[in-house]
Amino acid sequence: MRNKVIFYLNGKRHEVGAEQASMMLGDYLRYEKNLTGTKIVCAEGDCGACSVLRYFPHAKGTDDNNYLPINSCITVVANLDGSSLVTVDALKDENELHVAQKAMIKCHGSQCGFCTPGFVVALTGLVEEKIAKKETTLNVVEAKNCMTGNLCRCTGYQPIIDAALTMDLKKAQSVKERFFSPEQKEVLEEKFQTGIAIETEDFSYSAPKTIQEALNYLAANPDTRIVGASTDLGVVHNKRKITLTKLLSLHLIQDLYDIQLKNNVVTLGARVTMTEFRHFMKDKCPEVSNYLDIFASPQIKNLATVVGNVANASPIGDTPPALLALNASVIVNGNKEILLSDFFIGYRKTALQTGELITGIKFHLPKAGADFKLYKNSNRKDLDISAVNLGIQIEWNDHLKTSIKNIYIAAGGVAETPVRFKRTEDSLKTTLDLDAAVKILHTEFKPVSDVRASGAYRHILIENFLRRFFAECGGNK
Amino acid sequence: MSLPHDSAHTHVTGESEFVDDRAKLHNELFVDVFYSTRAHATIKHMDFSEVLKQPKVITVFTGRDVHHNLWGTIFKDQPILAVDKVQFAGEPIALIVAETMEAAQRAKQKVIIEYVDLEAVLSIDKAREVKSFIGDKRKIERGEVDKAMDNAPHTLSGKISIQGHDHFYLESQVSIAYPLEDGQIEIHSSSQHPTETQHVVAHALGIPDKDVVCQVKRMGGGFGGKESQSAPFAAMAALCAKKLNRPVRICLTKDDDMIMTGKRNPFENQYKIGFDNQGKILAWDVELFSDGGAYADLSTSIMERAMLHSDNSYFIPNMRVTGQVCKTHHHPHTAFRGFGGPKGVATIEKAIEEIAHYLKIDALKVRKINLYSDKENRNLTHYNQVVKNNCLERLHEELEKSCHYQQRRLEIIKYNQEDYGFIRGMSLTSVKFGISFTTRFLNQANALVIIHNDGSLQIATGATEMGQGVNARIAQMVTHELGLQRDAARMMPTRTDKNANTSPTAASSGTDLNGAAAILAVRKIKKRLSELALRLLDVPKEKWASKTAGLGTQEEIVLQTANLDVNDPNEGAEWKSGKATYFDIEFKDGWVYHPDHAEKKIEFKSLILEAYLNRISLSDYSFYRIPGIEFNKLTGQGDAFLYFTQGTACTEVSLNKDTGEVKVLRTDILMDLGRPVNHDLDVGQVSGAYIQGLGWVTTENLFYNDQGFLLSHAPSTYKIPSIQDVPREFNITLLDNDENFANVRGTKAVGEPPLLLAISAWTAINNALTALPQYKQTYPSIKIPATNERVLRAIAPEKFKAWD
Repeated sequence: MRNKVIFYLNGKRHEVGAEQASMMLGDYLRYEKNLTGTKIVCAEGDCGACSVLRYFPHAKGTDDNNYLPINSCITVVANLDGSSLVTVDALKDENELHVAQKAMIKCHGSQCGFCTPGFVVALTGLVEEKIAKKETTLNVVEAKNCMTGNLCRCTGYQPIIDAALTMDLKKAQSVKERFFSPEQKEVLEEKFQTGIAIETEDFSYSAPKTIQEALNYLAANPDTRIVGASTDLGVVHNKRKITLTKLLSLHLIQDLYDIQLKNNVVTLGARVTMTEFRHFMKDKCPEVSNYLDIFASPQIKNLATVVGNVANASPIGDTPPALLALNASVIVNGNKEILLSDFFIGYRKTALQTGELITGIKFHLPKAGADFKLYKNSNRKDLDISAVNLGIQIEWNDHLKTSIKNIYIAAGGVAETPVRFKRTEDSLKTTLDLDAAVKILHTEFKPVSDVRASGAYRHILIENFLRRFFAECGGNK
Repeated sequence: MSLPHDSAHTHVTGESEFVDDRAKLHNELFVDVFYSTRAHATIKHMDFSEVLKQPKVITVFTGRDVHHNLWGTIFKDQPILAVDKVQFAGEPIALIVAETMEAAQRAKQKVIIEYVDLEAVLSIDKAREVKSFIGDKRKIERGEVDKAMDNAPHTLSGKISIQGHDHFYLESQVSIAYPLEDGQIEIHSSSQHPTETQHVVAHALGIPDKDVVCQVKRMGGGFGGKESQSAPFAAMAALCAKKLNRPVRICLTKDDDMIMTGKRNPFENQYKIGFDNQGKILAWDVELFSDGGAYADLSTSIMERAMLHSDNSYFIPNMRVTGQVCKTHHHPHTAFRGFGGPKGVATIEKAIEEIAHYLKIDALKVRKINLYSDKENRNLTHYNQVVKNNCLERLHEELEKSCHYQQRRLEIIKYNQEDYGFIRGMSLTSVKFGISFTTRFLNQANALVIIHNDGSLQIATGATEMGQGVNARIAQMVTHELGLQRDAARMMPTRTDKNANTSPTAASSGTDLNGAAAILAVRKIKKRLSELALRLLDVPKEKWASKTAGLGTQEEIVLQTANLDVNDPNEGAEWKSGKATYFDIEFKDGWVYHPDHAEKKIEFKSLILEAYLNRISLSDYSFYRIPGIEFNKLTGQGDAFLYFTQGTACTEVSLNKDTGEVKVLRTDILMDLGRPVNHDLDVGQVSGAYIQGLGWVTTENLFYNDQGFLLSHAPSTYKIPSIQDVPREFNITLLDNDENFANVRGTKAVGEPPLLLAISAWTAINNALTALPQYKQTYPSIKIPATNERVLRAIAPEKFKAWD
């Protein structure tokens, strides 16, 4: 067992114990390492000023295994075990600026300079991806998408977009080549074979090697929090609503990084990130990957796990309605399955028993001829939490879509949990009368009015999405 | 010339130092602010005993520890720390000092406090009802409004409701106070107004101004939010530093910053407009009411600017505008880019859209016939200032053509006749923004220019750098004057021991004021250097001081002419180059020479050495005061501004009929910025201001609970535009205008005016809504901001009735 976590920072090996492992990475960089190029603004993963690059050589299931931008403000240092990190402070090579830095200067992409390091990091992430794919051009959509997780209040973004488009990709130097050495790979891989047990009075952190060991630990320490990517936990910690004292991480359990498709069933492990999931689904079910495009920020998606989003059981999470509409199941303890529709039992409460772990999720891809659509509405289209979201899947009895075989309608933002609208489903299954179904639909939820939307707006959005589904897919009589 | 921002190369590497990037000293402490959660209440009981028991906590201070607890820019009415009574949710009450920020933040949760709630005023309507006001109602009037209204062929009346707007500077309020020997305090602050910060700190501590120095290196954004409201936080850090004799850092979390600090003032305006069959405005009667929040702050000045901009670009023969600031129990609202301007302009732009809608003609037509014009004497504002260097007609005509307004209008009308699930709208609005502080005494600045022995320069002014590039522009102007590259000069941090009695970097005036002062300072040196060069170039090199001063074999060159003493930065300057020449000596490309004998030249660096050895001063200081500002606040008449920055924008939007989502399809902007010092930096200000304004009119929704406590206090809930919200097509062009003789080098200020152009997005949303059958007769009524929900409410009001 190790009592330290290991990671590389700007090419240098760092091994840290309890005191620093319990910090947020942003604080560690700024206050422990004087790497003040990385800025903290919101401390909740919503602005990108704190972005750093992370390469995680142990991930599976995706081919873009590069340095990816993540939010350092909400990432617990312990969770970076096995990672190689690069911060903005190190991007300049001797006297040579990185192409992203040069372009930002040339196109006046920085004004006050506070968000700038985060944008440079996001752009560098895109450059790494381009180098890996051996591409030397990029378009405006790619440019905007890679910076969706970064807020700027000075420039109006246009100069930054221009900067992205003028980056000289042919002259780009690979961060991976500069910072990820073969020795580094070897050390990280070797250390990854050993579990972690950090135990102090104020902080304990355990990272076992197998599911069984994790369950044993959980049985002995029932008050432990399971930490995925801490993209939510980090926020709650930064708002000083909780203290991180006892954490269990599954990051050393290799099997949990798997994502696979067998007999049209997708099975993904608890360590699969949103980015990997999105990538994996792209050719198998583009509706899911397109929907994930307006889920959080690239920085969040590069860390956050799908299982974490489900385990969190937030009523406004974006994956639950999608997975409910896919009639997914959660895999518990590696061997038990619970239908997702039976999983959310109260506000942030799930059917998971004390001592149990979610190890994965599985679902059947929509069958040929089935219609599957996902909708989301928020105050701002991108990088915003849903006012409501809705997932609908219908398997038809016939090509003419005159009657329904199976129907799944699931929503978020309308109740204290993500919900299935089962009576609406039944009504449509019985008679394909949309107006009648809509009447029932409205009786199935009583949304609150809050900072994101009024209850009335939520009612109307859900109805309009349902109507749009039938307008798009046909089938309404 | 479009050099990059002078800090661009350190911004991109993360080397640029912001206050919280300063290394922590070993004895440094952190302070967190405990604030009220009630709108209006007396404090019955407070108990810090649990706080003091928390690990790493040093102590707690309250208002009773402050020597002078009241501060305020215009009226000293606001406690630094509330004592006995709170007047808004978010009002600072106590300071918790600890060894780490986290310890202070966690300990804050242990404060025990009991309030007795008092009746709270949380809206403008309520304030008007109970007559809760700040200052008197003011009025600016010209012509015979009532008579003209009675005689007008058509009249319309209406209302506009404008919400607040958070600055959302990326760097929160932050200060570090270092106690120095003999009772002095040095403050490093993120502030647009170091002088006021110095004064507020000194006053709060009860020490003389001479014992406080405030330094501002740069800010991570300001936008007006750090004009007045950074000072109390600096005072809090200074109080702790003074009491404990240790450095103390205050660095607000985004949440606390948004909860405590004031915003752009909300406004509720009502109006009546009279016009003829063509849409020519005959009478405009408008009443402005703003929510000032709990304390005065800058709200009365903001209201004044709103009143002075209620005409926008339009000549209105009979006009009456009144303004009343309301006192409520919200955070004290404050300066925000545009000050009162956007609220005055949005009101008349809405009224003009209504005229067009009523007469069933295109709004651009109405706008064009109402513009200020040199023809027919339509060039006098309601406050009796002549609009000079008027580019409005040109701006409208050129933009109408370049954005293909008429053709696109037809396409939009056609598009809206089909049902695509979306409706489109387009609007072209303008801005005529008065440049100068309307408070005359603020229109002053000073600058210090130092040339060192090696010929490199340091420049210090009262301007603060918040990203706008004021330093880049000043350095560029000063080095240009000396024929040097910009990197020959370094802009020094703004410090009150170098530049005292300065005005805030605000009102778009930073470069105008401080650039003028810096040019006047460098010209004093230039004049001396020119006289020296004239005489030196006639002397053989071997007799120059650099060869002889050590031995003293040659007589010293003593200058014969008096120091330069002018106040106008354009005086003595050639208009085209902007450079002043003395004794016909030219400064160019690092060399100094007489054009008639160009072969006899001296390198600038060498000239500096000769000047030093001849005991000629290489530093100078200048003072600049804007001439001709004669605005009488009591009568509301006079020349309020030195000149006007003008611009036009055309925005096209698409609204989703299912969700109310707004998408900006295209924006074209044409701005008159005179003759920019740095074209690209100016364009950057335009795009930034427009997008910031776009946030204000669309997604940025301040959401309060019933105690006036802000619930949308972080980017997870308060949505400023993201990169995806930039118009799909975004064109910015600057008008060719070489004739702004009023300002330094013929430039025009740029900081605020383009924000007002985003009003075109809001009027475009309204314009799109008028395509719906329910708005054939009545004009839509939608707030600023037009959030997705509000847009859907306007699209499908009957659906909402069922659920509200």
